[in-house]
Order: sequence, then structure tokens, then C-alpha cells
Amino acid sequence: MKSLLTTILLLSAAFLNAQNTISGIVTEPSGVPIPGANIYLDGTYDGASSSDDGTFSFTTTETGEQTLVVSFLSFETFSLSMVVTEMKDLKIKLKEDVNSLGSVILNAGTFSAGDNSKASVLTPLDIVTTAGAAGDYIGAFQTLPGTSTVAEDGRLFVRGGDANEANVYIDGLRVFQPFAATANNIPTRGRFSPFLFKGTNFSTGGYSAEYGDALSSVLLLNTIDEPEQEKTDLSFISVGLGVGNTQKWKKNSLSINAFYLNLKPYQEIISQRVDWIKPFESLSGEAVYRHQFDNGLFKLYGGLNYTDFELTQEDINVPEGINFGLKNRNLYINASYKGALGNDWTLATGASFANDHNDIKIEETNVGNDDNAAHLKIKLRKRFSNRFKLSFGAEQFLGNFKEGVSDISFGNFQSSFKNNSTAAFSEANIFFNKKLAMQVGIRATHNALLDFTKVSPRASLAYKIAEKSQLSLAYGDFYQTPQQDILKYNSSLDPEKSSHYILNYLYQNNGRTLRAEAYYKSYDRLAKFDTEMPEFGSNYNSTGDGYAAGLDLYWRDNKSIKNFEYWTSYSYLDTKRDYRNYPERATPNFATKHNLSVVGKYWAQDWKSLISATYNFASGRPYTDPNTNNFLGEKTRTFNSLNMSWAYLISQQKILFVSVSNVLGFDNVFNYQYANTPNVNGNFARRAIRPTADRFFIVGFFWTISDNKTDNQLDNL
Amino acid sequence: MKTIIIILSLFTITSVNSQAAYEKGMGKAFELWGNQKNDEAANLFERIGKAEKDNWLPYYYAAQIHIVTTFGIKDAEEIESRLTKAQNYLNEAKTFSKDNAEILIMEAMLNTAYVVYDGAKYGMTHSGKVEELYQKAKIIEPENPRAILYHAEWQMGAAKFWGKDPKVFCPEIEKAILYFEKEPSNVPFYPDWGKNQITRIQENCK
Repeated sequence: MKSLLTTILLLSAAFLNAQNTISGIVTEPSGVPIPGANIYLDGTYDGASSSDDGTFSFTTTETGEQTLVVSFLSFETFSLSMVVTEMKDLKIKLKEDVNSLGSVILNAGTFSAGDNSKASVLTPLDIVTTAGAAGDYIGAFQTLPGTSTVAEDGRLFVRGGDANEANVYIDGLRVFQPFAATANNIPTRGRFSPFLFKGTNFSTGGYSAEYGDALSSVLLLNTIDEPEQEKTDLSFISVGLGVGNTQKWKKNSLSINAFYLNLKPYQEIISQRVDWIKPFESLSGEAVYRHQFDNGLFKLYGGLNYTDFELTQEDINVPEGINFGLKNRNLYINASYKGALGNDWTLATGASFANDHNDIKIEETNVGNDDNAAHLKIKLRKRFSNRFKLSFGAEQFLGNFKEGVSDISFGNFQSSFKNNSTAAFSEANIFFNKKLAMQVGIRATHNALLDFTKVSPRASLAYKIAEKSQLSLAYGDFYQTPQQDILKYNSSLDPEKSSHYILNYLYQNNGRTLRAEAYYKSYDRLAKFDTEMPEFGSNYNSTGDGYAAGLDLYWRDNKSIKNFEYWTSYSYLDTKRDYRNYPERATPNFATKHNLSVVGKYWAQDWKSLISATYNFASGRPYTDPNTNNFLGEKTRTFNSLNMSWAYLISQQKILFVSVSNVLGFDNVFNYQYANTPNVNGNFARRAIRPTADRFFIVGFFWTISDNKTDNQLDNL
Repeated sequence: MKTIIIILSLFTITSVNSQAAYEKGMGKAFELWGNQKNDEAANLFERIGKAEKDNWLPYYYAAQIHIVTTFGIKDAEEIESRLTKAQNYLNEAKTFSKDNAEILIMEAMLNTAYVVYDGAKYGMTHSGKVEELYQKAKIIEPENPRAILYHAEWQMGAAKFWGKDPKVFCPEIEKAILYFEKEPSNVPFYPDWGKNQITRIQENCK
């Protein structure tokens, strides 16, 4: 009896253990063997690692059809279903994982910052520790090539385009008034505090079909998904006070911050060229709420900003100056949801809304305007494989602008317009292999106000020419409706058009980056008018045009000197345009032929200090001298500025910060204003347009209070 | 009756076989690891993880091997692929065992590896995470010696960077030593590493 049982058991064990040998070789597509790959039958213990020559062999007791899986670092996992007995002398070629670090990147036209992307040129710290940026995230981008130094404006002037040609997006949704309200020749700042963002993409051309209504550039800001911890931030700055707090509970988090800015005490100490009647004062509050769903993330951002100032603007034609006062209220709400739908589909959707209200007083004229704008968007993305992704979406823009002007001599005047447009876009992202990738897209826009429908193609291609370097190309057509100051008087114009052609070379080697980009941009159908400023009675047409061509160079080195990082940007720009009230094609006042920025940062370990310096150079700016007959025929002297900042970390959570712009006190001139009528000698007198003060000082103390004591506000500076 | 016995015994054998296979496989993987065959060991842990389906331990060790390996290499591409792979393993492990202090500690190690590899790029974003993960792990298991020891080491590193005295964290190491002694070991292959690092970390206390 016992022996019978034993026999049966032995037999069945033997039966269970009937073995098959599985063997083969694992190689790269080129045939180079891959050692160390993991080969196994799915769901069993049976498997092996490939040997140095890529071969493998193991035995299994499994029978029938099974799935063989082969996986290895930086290669796509391979699987094969077949009958076990046939798994012999297999020749398995693994495909490279196109998401790995060594793959080609589609980067023509784009600078990434801080989102850990492979093409990142700035780290999160850079955006805020760059000297001269003074806590404004836009300031750091102005040290990148492709931008012109227009220090009296503060906005982004990209590749011969004026500041209105660049749009800003937060989490994929349009920001309608990204910059704080200001007066002529007084630089503005971004409205948003830099610590809200985790990553930024700054495109100087050839951007995705997802974005439209911008001729030159888009700046894409992404907010933080999940704050790391609960904390309270306090900032005491020579020009204002700030407080922030972050709370986390379950799957929610809420960050709020408020900032009060008042330049009065500062301007009483440091003399200004501007005669302030009521110095710049602003109060802003922001809140972000985030909720994590099982398969997605919801974010709600709300910001309210109130600005008030009054000054006497110098004017050569009005000896006593022009009185100018402004009160601005801006509300911005942005709600977005991003989540997985299963089956490799992702949904990104959201809406943004802005209400901007201005009360402007120019001498005896009062202007009141209200701008309501909204953006609704939905985007779907399907990942067919690592190598092929398709996205498509639709968006709706709604705009409603109303303005009332009252003047003692002219009486009252009302203007308004509704600017609504609808767009659809689609884009395919194709990786042929680790070396060659392509993105093609198309965008169609219909604008109800100007009644046009335009289709714009976009394409980019990238090819890896060597292990550390690659070449890429980009092309795109871009349309933009004319600006508000024109639309309020005329709605029969064509959309303005630009086309970009970009060739990019990128070299990246362990902390060193060289990027060279040559481009040509053509402008067509630019809006024109025949008066000094756009007015009710002006004649408008769309016959303006122009071009911009140039070369942008960027070099960054983090490795050669310990604790020292530097980057340098040079841009060469050749541009001419005929637009607005230009009598002929000319290089505009904001465009400079040569632009150079050198940024250096040194971490002095013994002093616990981050010392940073930025040098900016720009060649002369064109201006018109009515004593000659040349329109925009003269050039100002060159622009020079050396900015320094010093952040001293008293302890992990207490930082002392000092920053000075234009340390050497260069006397910079941006433009000249000429008298309307000649003086007794028959000459037109002029006045130089210069910075409001040669230097700007900031002293600040930043204090973070949190449980874990490692966080600080370095990212706030 | 006989038939029943036979069938029953057959069942027992199969289930014993599977448990034995797990133990044999894990044993073999640790042996490979001990013999410096890191990648083969990681591969075997991955295979066991796939076969076991609901056991977090094999994925946990596969992740640990990749993380530890990055401390000895310089090639950025390899480091990033290994850390990505490790994160994937830990994500798998987490689906089988939620709120597991050991997995959180390993995730803290993973984030530390990113900071060690490129402080400028990852320092700001990942340092806060390391801190948070250790704190979470300590809430779940206040007496986990690895959480206490490695959190102390992390804090000592920060203190040294800021020119402060790392010795204030030395009592934490004493605590860790005590908890290492008390550590129960009921589950086979349950993490119990870290003891041999005490002397190295205690160097900071001299």
C-alpha cells in the first residue's frame, strides 16, 4: 500500500517535472549582444539572465503555450507567446526605450526649465536666483538667447517680435494679463509668484499646434502638483511684506499667499527720475487648491491683484509734465483637471477666466475699461506605444472689452468689442527610434469678430548625429488677431501672420550644454494705421509685413569649476518691419542687433552664501531723429548693466538677501523723445528716455516655518 | 479512500512545492547578490515578483539593488534608467502592501540617490520628499530601526552642510541599535538590513 502510494507520488512528481529547455540570444536592433537581460516565462519562476555574449538558456516544467518576457534597462520590454517546446534558438531584438535619457529630443525653439526634462537648460533655483531678476520669473528668461533687452518694459521681446507677440499659459490655459499694470517706461513684473511653478517651457518659435494667437513666443508655466509639506513663509523686503501658508490633508492641499508692495519708503531714500505723486502700491493674494483623485489631479488657482499709483510723466512738449494716474484690479481664475481614462488615454481639460479693470486718469481725461476674457479647453491624448502618441483637442476663447472715455473738451466716448474664437488642434508625436523623432500638428482657428478661418501647420524633426549631440528642424505658421488698442476701433482687419523656420544644434555632455539655433521668421498682414496712436478716425489696413533672421547661442557649464555655474547667451538679430504707423520698413526701437548675457553663480560653502552676478549687453536701439530724414535711422549708445545678488543662509530656514542692479552705474538710454516743433535755431530738441533710477536695491529677510526644517525660500528670491 | 489520500497528498505537494520554490528562489537571489552578481539577482527578484503576484518583497529587493548600484556608477543615462526602474518596482510593491514603512524607507533611499547624483537638478525637489518619507515611515512604525538610523544619517548630512553639529542626532543611533535588537523576524526574507552600517554612521559622533 505504502509503496504503491510512493510510486504514484514519484511518478506524478516526475511527470510534473518533465523539462523543456528554452534558449536563444538577446541583441540590440543592430545585432550587438545585450548581456544581463532578464528572460523568463511570465508567471513562473523559470528564467535566466543573458550572459556576456547575449545568449541564454534555462529549463522549465511548463508546457503548452506560454509567454516569454525579456526586459532590460533602457530597452522596451519584449514579450512573445508560443508553445514552450518551440522556444529554442530564439533571436530576440530589443527596441531601445525612446524615453530614456540618451534619446533624441524634440527641442527646436524651446527652452525648458526645472521640470527635470531632458532638455532642461535652467534648474528651478536658476529662475529665482539670477541676479537682476529680482524675484520676477520673467527676469531669468531675459537672460536666454532670442530675447532682446528692453529694460524699460520688463516683458518678453522675442526674436524681433514686440511684447504682444508672446503669450503666457498656466497649466495649458491662457493667462490674459500676465503682467502687472504699469506706466510708460516703467518696467512691469510678472503677476505670479515664482514658487507656484514646478516647471517652465519657454518657446522662442516653432511651438506646438496646441497653442495659437501668438506670433513669436509662448511661455508655458506648470504649477506644482503636490506641495512637499505644510509650512508658513514670511518675507520682509525693503519694498513690501509677504506671507504664505500651505496646508495638506488627505488628498487635498491648499496654498495661499499674500503680498503687499509699497515703493514709497524706498523712493524717499533713493532719488528717482520720475516725479511720483502717489508711489506704486499693490496688494495681491493668490490661492491654489489641489485634489488628488484616484486617476487624476484637479487644481484650482485664484488670484486677485490691486494696483494704484500716480505720477507726473516727463514730456518734452509739455514742460510741466503730464499727470498720469492708474488704478488696476485684476482677477484671474484657472481650473484644470488632468487624468488617465484607461487604455492609455489621458484627458486634460480646464477653464480660465480673467476680469481686468482699469481707472486711468491722464490730465483731465478719465478712461475706464473692463476686460472680461475666458478660455475653455479640452485635450485628449492617446499613447499607442512609447513611439507613437496622438493628441487632439478643442478650445474656445471669449473676450468682451468695454471702454469709456470722458474728457472735458471732447465729452464722453464709448467703445467695445467681443472677441470670440474657436480652435481645434491635433498633433502626432512619432519616435522612429532612439535617434530620429518627429512631431507634426495642425491647428484650425475661426475668429467671430474678424470673421476669418485659418489653418496653420506645425512640424518639427530631430535627429541624433552623435552620442552627445543632435540636430533639429522646426517649421510653423502662426496667426494672431491685432491688439486691443486697434480692435476697439476696427474689426475688419485680417489676422496677422508669421512663419518660422528653425535649425537647432544641441550638444549635452555631463553638465555642459551648447545650443545654437538659426532662424528665419517672416511677418505678413500686420495691422497698420495712419495716425500717431490708433484712434477712432484713423484709417486701418492689413498691409504691414516684415522679417526677422538671426542666430542664438547658449553655453552653460556646471562642472568645470567646483560650486560655480555659469551660462552665457548671445543673440544676433537682423529684423525689419512695416507695421502700426511706420512709413516704411525699419528696425523697431525694441530690436537690438547684438544681445549678450553672462550669468554666474557661486556657492561659497564657508559663508553659506550664494553669490550671483549677471552682465547684460545690448547694442544701440534705433530711434528717429526728426532733424534728419531717416525714419528710425539713428542708434542710442549701447546698453550695459552688471547686477549682483547675495543670498546668505543664516540657518536652514532663514535667509538674508541683498540685490543691486546696475552696480557700476552705467548711464543707459532706451530712446529719445523729440519736440513736436523745432526751436528758434530750426532744431528739434530732445529728451532721453532713461531708467527711473540707475540702480535698484533690494534687501530682504525670508523665514520659513515648517515641521521638517529643511525647506527655505531660496526659490522665492 | 485511497484515491482521496492520493489526491490530497498531490495537492499538498504542489502547494509545498510553490512555497519551496519561493524560498529557494529568494535564497538563490540573495546568494547571487552576495556574490556581487547584482543584475542577475535583481533579474531573479523581478521574476519572483512576477510569479508571486501579490508579494511586495521581491520587488522591494529588486529596487534596492538598483538604488544601491547607482551609488557606485557615474554614467548619467545608466543612473537615470536604474532609478526609474527602481521607482517602478516600488510602485508595484506598493500596490501589494499599502502604508508599508519599509517601502517608504526604500523610497527615501531612492530620492536620496537622485540628490547624490545631481544635487543642482534634484536637490530642491527631492530633499523635501526624503524628509517627508522618513517621517511617514516613522509614524507607521515608530520603532523601525532603519527609519531611525537612515533618517538620522540624512539629518546629520544636512547638519554638516549647514555647519551645525551632527552629534545632536547621535541618541537616535542608540535608539536604532536598541530597536535592531528587538526587531522580530516572523516573515521569511523580511527586511532586516542596516545593522552593519551603524559603525559607519557613528563616525559622525566622534
